[in-house]
Amino acid sequence: MTTFDFFVLSGLLFAVGLFGVIVRRNVISLFFSLELLLNSANVLLVGFSKLQGNLFGEVFVFFVLAVAAAEAAVGLAVVVALYRYRKSVNTEDFSILRW
Amino acid sequence: MREIFFYLFAFLSVAFAVISVTHRNVVKGGIALLASFVSLGAVYFTAGAEFIGIVQVIVYGGAIVVLYLFALMTMDLKSFGKEPLKTLSVAVGGAVSLVLLVSVLYAGYKFYGGVVTAGISGAKEIALPLFYRFLLPFEVVSVLLLVATVGAVAVGRREE
Repeated sequence: MTTFDFFVLSGLLFAVGLFGVIVRRNVISLFFSLELLLNSANVLLVGFSKLQGNLFGEVFVFFVLAVAAAEAAVGLAVVVALYRYRKSVNTEDFSILRW
Repeated sequence: MREIFFYLFAFLSVAFAVISVTHRNVVKGGIALLASFVSLGAVYFTAGAEFIGIVQVIVYGGAIVVLYLFALMTMDLKSFGKEPLKTLSVAVGGAVSLVLLVSVLYAGYKFYGGVVTAGISGAKEIALPLFYRFLLPFEVVSVLLLVATVGAVAVGRREE
């Protein structure tokens, strides 16, 4: 396995996640896609960390994990509050801020 | 042996990621996402990033996906309704993600021969840079998690 394989894996995961962010209309599915985007960055960080031979990339992955956990908690709270308000998780129903 | 498992789990993680993004049932998508994250943890193991692999399985698989599924259980799944597939958004999404994939591969092409070092980085190896060089970011992250917890409770609270 070379570093390029990590690029391929990361690029594929990012492409899948971006496709989901653009196509899906369900907020929970959007969150799934966002987690995939964060994970693709993690894959590349681990790959570079292994290429360089130091551990700074893996420490950064640790921070990304913490940020992802915080994002999941706050984002889900927002989604649950919105669901209580609108009885829907479809992004097309959340258009009250659109002019 | 390492290579075989790397390619196997890399393929599995991408395949489950595709399922989780495209599946119409959100709960099944969440389960597929869980499988994708566990496969990614195995990929980290094959690369020698032992601690990151364990944390990936515990935090992503055990905490984040379960949190999503738990929140899904409080909602009425039948009220979600069908998502009509718009040809325009599928075309735009496919084009944008394809362009991004090609650009990532183009950027990675100069690392084509880069050999991954065989060292294993467990908790002991990670602890040294984490607690010496990155001690301040580590403490800031703890404050961030506290703020996120308080914020999640404050936002999700039912108003009287």
